[in-house]
Amino acid sequence: MSLAADLRVIWALGGRAVKQTMRRPQLFAPIIVFPTLLLAIQTGGAGRGVDLPGFPQVNGFLDFILAGAMIQSTLLAANSGGIALAVDIEMGFTDRLLAAPISRYAMVLGRLAGTAVLGAFSAIWFIVIGLIFGAQIDEGVPGAMVMIIFVTLSAVAFGGIGAAVALRTGKASVVQGLFPLVFVILFLSSAFFPANLMLEPAATVAQYNPISFIVEGVRDPVISSLSLNAFAKAIGSIALVGAISVGLSAFALRQRLRMGG
Amino acid sequence: MERTFSGDVRAVAGVDLEVAEGEIYAFLGPNGAGKTTTVRILTTLLRPTGGSARVAGFDVVAEAGKVRQTIGVALQEAALDPLMTGRELIRLQATLHGLPRDEGRRRSAALLERVDLVEAADRQVGTYSGGMRRRLDLASALVHEPPVLFLDEPTTGLDPVSRKTIWAEVEQLNADGTTVFLTTQYLEEADQLADRVGIIDFGKLVSEDTPRALKAQIGHPHLEIRLTDGGAERAEEVVARFGKPLPMRDGAVLVELERGAGAVAPVVRALDEAGLGVEALDLVEPSLDDVFVAKTGHHLEPEEQQEAKSVDDSESE
Amino acid sequence: MSVGWRADIEMIAALVRRAANELLRVPGAAIPGVLAPTIFFLGLTSVFGHLTLLPGFDSSSYQSFLIPISLMQGAGFTGAATGVNLARDIEQGWFDRLLVSPAPRSVLLAGLVISASLRSLIPAAVLLVVGFALGVSWPGVGGLVMAVVIVMGMGTLAALWGCALALKFRSQSAAPLMQAGMFVLILTTTAYAPLALLTGWLHTVAKYNPATQIVESARQGFVGGVSWGDTWPGLLALAALMAVLAAFALRGMRRTAY
Repeated sequence: MSLAADLRVIWALGGRAVKQTMRRPQLFAPIIVFPTLLLAIQTGGAGRGVDLPGFPQVNGFLDFILAGAMIQSTLLAANSGGIALAVDIEMGFTDRLLAAPISRYAMVLGRLAGTAVLGAFSAIWFIVIGLIFGAQIDEGVPGAMVMIIFVTLSAVAFGGIGAAVALRTGKASVVQGLFPLVFVILFLSSAFFPANLMLEPAATVAQYNPISFIVEGVRDPVISSLSLNAFAKAIGSIALVGAISVGLSAFALRQRLRMGG
Repeated sequence: MERTFSGDVRAVAGVDLEVAEGEIYAFLGPNGAGKTTTVRILTTLLRPTGGSARVAGFDVVAEAGKVRQTIGVALQEAALDPLMTGRELIRLQATLHGLPRDEGRRRSAALLERVDLVEAADRQVGTYSGGMRRRLDLASALVHEPPVLFLDEPTTGLDPVSRKTIWAEVEQLNADGTTVFLTTQYLEEADQLADRVGIIDFGKLVSEDTPRALKAQIGHPHLEIRLTDGGAERAEEVVARFGKPLPMRDGAVLVELERGAGAVAPVVRALDEAGLGVEALDLVEPSLDDVFVAKTGHHLEPEEQQEAKSVDDSESE
Repeated sequence: MSVGWRADIEMIAALVRRAANELLRVPGAAIPGVLAPTIFFLGLTSVFGHLTLLPGFDSSSYQSFLIPISLMQGAGFTGAATGVNLARDIEQGWFDRLLVSPAPRSVLLAGLVISASLRSLIPAAVLLVVGFALGVSWPGVGGLVMAVVIVMGMGTLAALWGCALALKFRSQSAAPLMQAGMFVLILTTTAYAPLALLTGWLHTVAKYNPATQIVESARQGFVGGVSWGDTWPGLLALAALMAVLAAFALRGMRRTAY
């Protein structure tokens, strides 16, 4: 129908997705609590890593790892959004949406909108945590804004992967099975430590992992002045991941509609 | 060794009951009436908040261990591990009751035969049908030959054939001397099995006697009238002249007839004169449902529960 | 019917056999418990491997330094999963079946805990194979025995913790708490680096966390030699934590069905 009607539906579904997560400790804990715990432990445990030769100039390890925690959080939010979508499919909730006179894409976009909000929330959460525990954002308020925007956009890009798998398989257990993959991807990136100081073969992978570019784009405003190079790499990576994942979602949705009607 | 048990459980709203050795006692009531709570207290799964209860002479709180040795329990959800085989499950139960291994093996084989699960004995429980699960649950409750058996809604959700199988088994056990305490929401089950029936509603024991005596208290058959087209309220006014009106059930008008069959013809004539068409007419002998209505003011079957009224009743006491 | 210790042992064995069904009869059931600590081992060693270059780091191989942590995490995951399973059994009513039996409550708890401690050997075996393949140094027979003791002890500890929470909340939604509790206990120690190199709050917490002693006693064989002086504090800390959590779990059990 009309664009306005679609937007209203997306808005409502996004709100539902956010509330779903915030109300259930099982969903909320992995997205926010777990990355926060890991952030605290890694800051204390590997903090002296800043003394290693070759470590970038930073005020402290917390400044360095903050971006990693945000991206970890959004990857987990994307995974849990995919699980929720698959549960909706399993329980027949999506059939009700498909029967309604709205765009077919609204049900996916609504879910992605929810993941985006969770991404923004996680960025703000970790900025606040960081500031409380002594991190300094070199680029100040504009830098923080850039971080929030990057994290929100990457939440959508990652969310598309979760949605694509959910739509393709329609099984929550399969999407759930991607959970360990989140950590594999993170450990193979510069999310927690500079790529040049990691052990091989992970070090090489991390140098080309788009997640590294995204994390570094989010990190850049914290530890140095914003560089066009880091900015462009981050935007490019988000666009690449986003184009692939949203494309796959659209494809999976169309296939699902063709099969199931 | 005493095998009677008597109780004074005041956990729900106050239930007082006593069951004699060798008896089948049925606890009859709708969902949420407090049946399961009572059973959980008597089987030591739930601590009473007031009052006391003794099972086979043992206090359910102070002597919980002795109670557990004496009772066999088949609970409502029939919780069975889907990954175990039927035989493994009964043998685990035997071990938990401290039976020697050979004894456990012998008894589980005998019990599997008894409940007709020999062929399925080595299949995982996950593949069993509802009736098979109940039979296995019952068998596992019997492994230590308990003198007292608790069955919480043993046939809820079962098809009629499976239900009859369970009934036959319970009757056989009772004939062998087992005291049985069962809960049910089926009138037919209480009527068929029980020596005595306790009617529980909103946590209170509202009546207790043999099925026959309970029905005799009501004493009179009732007439069940279905009208061709509406006018139920007017029909109720008409029939009220002939006997005590009862609450409607499934759209049928009910009236109790003190004179029995002899009063049927005048009722029909009166309805005819009032211009009400009769589609069907049934003279029904008293059943436990009538007892239930008489005691609680509503029917046992879930369709027509006048809940609010009964809440007031039980709270005003 | 007097129930002696032989009967107790038979009951525990029967409960352990039942718990093993999940692994033996559900294909792939052991995978999550093995996968998570393996990914963390591979990931953390790749990411933080060069921390060994810091002055004051007393081991030249981060793999050898980290393997005991991963072994403990594997046991922690597995043990906490026992708590999740108990919560499921409580939710579905299976646990009532055990509670209405005359089996002593401590026997029911022992059945759960012992199966967890045995099961925690599965991720440990996989981790050790992966670790040795990647150059973890041979800890010697003494060091290996010590590692096995600590793994089984951690499995027990985690199971006690998980069961206590399961009995308290009676719901599987307590699962994140079961897992997070063990995660925090194990990692707020000298997990990532020696005490002298830990910074800020973690330095303080690790200094007083009894689990640090457990970590050090499990680690000694991998980074040097086994000595009684490095062993007894770990065993003592393990025993003390077990005693506290066992009391906590038994109390929960008695409250559920006295």
